[in-house]
Amino acid sequence: MNDESNTSDRPREDEDRHAFAAEAHSLWRITFAPTVWALHFVLCYGLVSLSCAKELIPIATVQAVLTALSLLALAIIAWLGFRSLRQWRVLVTGQLEHPEGTPESRHRFLGHAAFLLSVISAIGVIFVSMPLILIGGCQ
Amino acid sequence: MSADKAALPPPDRRPLGPYPPTPEMLAEPVPEALQRAQADRLRAAWRTPKGWRYWTAVNNTEVGKWYCLTALAFMLCAGVMALIIRLQLAVPDNDLVSSDRFSQLFTLHGSAMMFLFAVPMFEAISILLLPGMLGARDMPFPRLSAFGYWCFLIGGTFVLVSILFDIAPRAGWFMYPPLATQDEGPGSDIWLLGLSFIEIASIAAAVELIVGALKCRPPGMRVNMMPLYAWYVLVVGGMILFAFPPLIAGDFLFELERSLDWPFFDPTRGGDPMLWQHLFWIFGHPEVYIVFLPSIAIAAMVIPTVARRPIVGYSWIVLSAVGVGFLSFGLWVHHMFTTGLPSISLGFFSAASQAVVIPTGIQLFAFLATLLVGRVTMNLPMLWIAGALAVFTLGGLTGVMLAIAPFDFQVHDTYFIVAHLHYTLFGGMIFPVIAGVYYFFPFISKKMLSERLGRWSFWLIFTGFNICFLPMHLTGLLGMPRRIYTYPTGLGWDWLNLISTVGAFIIAAGFLVFVWDLLRPKGKQPQPPRNPWQAGTLEWSHDIPEEAWGVRSIPHVTTRYPLWEQPGILERMDAGRYYLPDAEEGRRETLITSVIDARPLQVQRVTGPSWITHVAAAFTGGCFIFPTFGYYWPAVVCGVFAGMAILYWLWTATARPPEAERKDVGLGLSLPTYVSGPDSVGWWAMWITMLGDATAFASIIFGFFFYWTAQDDFPPDGALHAGAGETALAALALAAAWGLVLLARRWNRHGAVTAARLALAGAALTAATGGGALALAVWPLDPTSHVYPAVICAIALWICVHAALAVVMHLYCLAGSFAGKLTPHHDADLCNVALFSHFFVLSSLVACAVIGLAPRLI
Repeated sequence: MNDESNTSDRPREDEDRHAFAAEAHSLWRITFAPTVWALHFVLCYGLVSLSCAKELIPIATVQAVLTALSLLALAIIAWLGFRSLRQWRVLVTGQLEHPEGTPESRHRFLGHAAFLLSVISAIGVIFVSMPLILIGGCQ
Repeated sequence: MSADKAALPPPDRRPLGPYPPTPEMLAEPVPEALQRAQADRLRAAWRTPKGWRYWTAVNNTEVGKWYCLTALAFMLCAGVMALIIRLQLAVPDNDLVSSDRFSQLFTLHGSAMMFLFAVPMFEAISILLLPGMLGARDMPFPRLSAFGYWCFLIGGTFVLVSILFDIAPRAGWFMYPPLATQDEGPGSDIWLLGLSFIEIASIAAAVELIVGALKCRPPGMRVNMMPLYAWYVLVVGGMILFAFPPLIAGDFLFELERSLDWPFFDPTRGGDPMLWQHLFWIFGHPEVYIVFLPSIAIAAMVIPTVARRPIVGYSWIVLSAVGVGFLSFGLWVHHMFTTGLPSISLGFFSAASQAVVIPTGIQLFAFLATLLVGRVTMNLPMLWIAGALAVFTLGGLTGVMLAIAPFDFQVHDTYFIVAHLHYTLFGGMIFPVIAGVYYFFPFISKKMLSERLGRWSFWLIFTGFNICFLPMHLTGLLGMPRRIYTYPTGLGWDWLNLISTVGAFIIAAGFLVFVWDLLRPKGKQPQPPRNPWQAGTLEWSHDIPEEAWGVRSIPHVTTRYPLWEQPGILERMDAGRYYLPDAEEGRRETLITSVIDARPLQVQRVTGPSWITHVAAAFTGGCFIFPTFGYYWPAVVCGVFAGMAILYWLWTATARPPEAERKDVGLGLSLPTYVSGPDSVGWWAMWITMLGDATAFASIIFGFFFYWTAQDDFPPDGALHAGAGETALAALALAAAWGLVLLARRWNRHGAVTAARLALAGAALTAATGGGALALAVWPLDPTSHVYPAVICAIALWICVHAALAVVMHLYCLAGSFAGKLTPHHDADLCNVALFSHFFVLSSLVACAVIGLAPRLI
């Protein structure tokens, strides 16, 4: 599962491109949860506009659909958060900080950062979903 | 043809030799004589030009200094405008300046502080400091930094000087139409074109800084060990790429309306002023954080030093920076709460505005925690940081109030807003930046600033600031609107305004002290110690007296605070024990490492002093400045010359096949001198630039769907559509051009040079055909009649300009192939053009679908 965590620093025969892709992927991963928040946000804004400005869809339908999407977004973020929590391995090691210059430390650090970003993204999705539930129509 | 048979095996571009270095390798001393010879060669390669040629320098230390000083000068000009504004408002019914002049003053004050000071200052400081923090010799594209600086200088001077001729922009710093579009005189054009020019410089700086932070770190500095400043630079660079392009797209539409009367924002012909507000604030709100984050990053560098311990909660601060970066894009409508959007929509933006407080607060708590657990020495930089935290927290609290839409309805466009934004900007930008100036001054100019003058300046600015802006909260609550040039007596505003004016002059006195301290001659001052604050990060390995080489040798880093935690690193760096201690070929070089783990990958040749950046910047300036006064042909000529200058610069100085395929970089490691594709910095720069370009394009497409959403009849019944056949032909031809570029890359790499050349020529031909077909498709439309044909034509224009660029790129590669610059094993140019083509084909197909299909379907 965590193949890049054991990567030696020594340049190896076949390593270059393969390891590069794996590495780059793990930096992208910290942005996944905020990206889910952003997509959710854009959908909220866009669908409400289609309902209130263009009057294509009834607002009650939009509110129901978006609330369902909020739950979906939260589920995806929870899954991302769970994966990054495992990558962080804090529950196993009890180690909160990762300042060491080892691949393992870097790997867990990225897990930690991704986990914290999942938490903040979940809070963001909950905040943005509240108007859907609390505010009536298109006044 | 002989070139076809020259399919030699590709050169080995893997790093060879031991890495990471063992303690024994590092312990081995370098002979004295060798050290001296190496240092001499390095010094010669990096020597700063003397005399009038000094201005050709491209080294980050020189360009960074000019950039900072220019931004400071622009800030002082904008400050003087603020003083005139305050003088005018000091007493009721004042007639010091006219209403018109007052409008010019506040417009230019806001625009200059934002576009000519706050954002460029981030770029300036980062260009100056980032290579030092990363132990790099220079940024990867020094001439790009220099080009960006000269653009900034020309554009900024042009915009500011307009006020002396009484033709300055006067519609407020956010230029709302229809006021700004219908304004007589060149003011709005000066704002648009002058600032567009500077936005391009900002994107150039963002490209430079992102690639610098990702690819120019010292070996071993993994992402979990980057100085926090580099994390912030990365986040802010990314934000610039998504925030500035919507404004550039908005400027593009705005200028088409101003000069060609295409009615994007004119409601009488189907346009909508709200689109400008959306595009402006999609830029404008993230911009606040683009200004705030790098300044607070300075605090993240100062605080560990004064607390004498590593930062507490490194990952939390990274979370905070990345989280703020994302959330800040969901706030833009809180500047538009009173525009009548549905209340659910207001709720989304209100909620996101509250949510952004959480990550922002986390980083402040991390700083406080670091100070609490450390042994704090209250030095001058820390005093300014403390002031910043206090002022910013107050601004943040009023921000939370304003995020609540009903409260915002009450105080919208009053002095309460003025107070709030100045609290956030002084606390979030001015104070931390001045802290940074005091902290980094010994690094920048190898002298110290005065402790006594610094304290005077701090207390003057801090008290003056609060005297000026604290009463404004009340003035605003009492109902005084922004941007009024005078007011009658008896509304309860008189005393409050007078107090604010006194405060403004106290701030000015503080700035005078600060600027005097900064600029006063310091020739007699003894040299400061090398690391006066006993900091732990790499920039404090700088040389005193100054050396232009950045670092004597590029260290292997295994900790977050190498100077604290890696004993002996400084001596080894000085002795040239680490990487690239020499410049045998007399060329400027720096080390390129991998993105995550910073494993050494390549030796990058960086460019040296040149006039070509000035030539390119001057012609680019002409291209933007002439249209302001309606001179379109000179602008076109300038544009062509600017293009030629840039091509000359690229041709002579970038991606040339090296004289040797690899070189020894020290400690037994041998690295390639040429790479192409994702390993090369040029590929990353193209990727990042195209991301920004795609965002701008997406903003124009957003405009199309915005009109469709906001209007009942878009496209209007019976409107003439773009030709279906021509649009389909354009889509096919542009897709074919993309396919041919990919084939050219593949064939070239396999040694089939003739086939590759034919494919490139074909690509140029098909791209030109595609652009031409799209132009023909929209030719019968009349863009001045209604916004529907206008937006279709704007999209087509965007694609045509890119098709022309694509043709130039294909021909450039073709010429490179004939000239031996582009060979089967040296195909960086072609890889970059292929990357451009990926983005271009995607945007072409989207454009053709929106132009040809969407109007017939919706």
